[in-house]
Amino acid sequence: MIFTFEENSRIVEAYIGEYASGKSEMAINRALELSNQGRRVTLVDLDTVEPFYTLRPIKNQLEKLNLNVISSSREDSFGLGETGAMLNPRARWALRNEGDIILDIGYGVFGAQTLNLVEDIDQTPEFKVIAVLNASRPMTNSLDRILEYVEGLGRVDAIVANTHMGDETTPEIISAGNEIIVEAARILQLPIIYVAIIDELKDRKINIFDLPVKYIKRYMPSAMW
Amino acid sequence: MERVIGESKKSFMTGNEAAAWACLAAGADIMFGYPITPQNEIMHYWTRMAPKYGKGFLQTEDELSAGFTVCGGVQSGKKAFTATAGPGNVLMQEPFGMAEAMRLPLLAIIQQRGGPSSGTVVYSQQEVTLTTYGGNGEGHRIVYSTSTHQEIFDYIIKGFNSAWTHRFPVFILGDGYQAKMREPLEMYDPEDRGIEMVKPYPLIGLGGKIGEDRGPSHLCNIYSLEEELYEVITKVQAEYDALAPQITEYEEKFCEDADIILVTHGVVSRAADDAVKALRAQGIKAGYFRPITLRPFPQKELRAAIAKSGAKKLLVAESAIGQLERLVKQEIYGETVKMETLFMPGVGIIESDLIDKVKSVL
Repeated sequence: MIFTFEENSRIVEAYIGEYASGKSEMAINRALELSNQGRRVTLVDLDTVEPFYTLRPIKNQLEKLNLNVISSSREDSFGLGETGAMLNPRARWALRNEGDIILDIGYGVFGAQTLNLVEDIDQTPEFKVIAVLNASRPMTNSLDRILEYVEGLGRVDAIVANTHMGDETTPEIISAGNEIIVEAARILQLPIIYVAIIDELKDRKINIFDLPVKYIKRYMPSAMW
Repeated sequence: MERVIGESKKSFMTGNEAAAWACLAAGADIMFGYPITPQNEIMHYWTRMAPKYGKGFLQTEDELSAGFTVCGGVQSGKKAFTATAGPGNVLMQEPFGMAEAMRLPLLAIIQQRGGPSSGTVVYSQQEVTLTTYGGNGEGHRIVYSTSTHQEIFDYIIKGFNSAWTHRFPVFILGDGYQAKMREPLEMYDPEDRGIEMVKPYPLIGLGGKIGEDRGPSHLCNIYSLEEELYEVITKVQAEYDALAPQITEYEEKFCEDADIILVTHGVVSRAADDAVKALRAQGIKAGYFRPITLRPFPQKELRAAIAKSGAKKLLVAESAIGQLERLVKQEIYGETVKMETLFMPGVGIIESDLIDKVKSVL
């Protein structure tokens, strides 16, 4: 499904956010959206602390959908366990891949810091850091908390409003979340590039404050680990 | 007590975060800990929130120290806690044993991971034996095995009260899956649910004169004579046995007429719940029994479920090789019901695993 046809020569975006904010879903959906436009896309799992868990279980599924996925796989695991907190060299040099690069930044508490590990990141003018906000998360469930949280993240170029409650998401939950996030974005003077809504709620009435909407498909529930 | 949650509303989060918030809502004063996966985010979130609420945190040099500093913290009258997993749980058995001996209201959250030794960083149910009976002692502990994020929150609040009321160390036994997975739960301030939190109180440095104003505060973890130790342990055992009926918790479904009862605990009981419903829909009379407290174990209740159902078989299923099964065996010794097992150490057990197993043994 195409929402916005990208004419930029190259897109490089990093999705950051709290645990369960939906950053991996946003990164996957964005990567597939671009790929469906015929663009070459690399999706990078940049979880340095628990590298074998985030996208690994669905790596093959995503590769079948024409994405180049940089994520640690079972074969890469050689018994380091947690002492093997490591940077996948393919992730470190991800920007040297041709085409668009979508980075899924794991480990919520470190925000954008992990991006310092990616080579050439400071020489990539098209690079954007996108904060994914879910107002059902306790650290981002009020205006004050969102302001404090986003200000602590470091560089942020734009916001995705992605309020959800997993399987129990309702139009009311999304609408209420949008209200807080819109106000926070205004104060922070950051653009909300879109409101994310799961496909299943497409026909429901949700207050989106005249913002662009992207209907997303959930991939992470099948990433059981 | 300061209100932390405010208006109760649903949140979407990981189990580790739920644990950190629960400790805050329960009025915990300080966490002592040492990092280990998969419990790290308990520490991360506690340290993010602690400064805002005037709470304390100390990262000690290892788990031995973390356990002992909790022992010290609670003696000074602070509601202290720790969280660990796997090899950290092994190291903490010495302080946990001290907490048993001195009857210290210690609370520890254990997010089980795979073993032996450092094993893997995520999921297993291989810390049941360790958490219920680890240490050189008699397992005078209260162990709540949770299965949802809501329960992690609820039982941490309950656990602090159990610890400070009964003065036995309390364990919230989760696992790597519960630690990391995301699901909604409703957080609340205990007072909004009519739960009164037991105020912590100092165990040492008390005022007044011993023998006149108060009795001695006799906190001891070492005895010179075998007979003295015998007396103390026998007395503690009697107290533990007497308290057990009011501490014991379990969950039972469809056991009235079950031909087979699935006995599971923790996150596996979610699969058992689904499996039993699916089997019933197919006309197979399956029942569900889940000990929520692994110590003290709901022994009478499990025996009663077997008796009333007339079940021919029990199926004990766990992500370990027989750690729950051994508990069940010792607790229902003498029952003649046949025991079947499904042991899947290190990996998750899902509904279809249980359904297939039930069909293969009935």
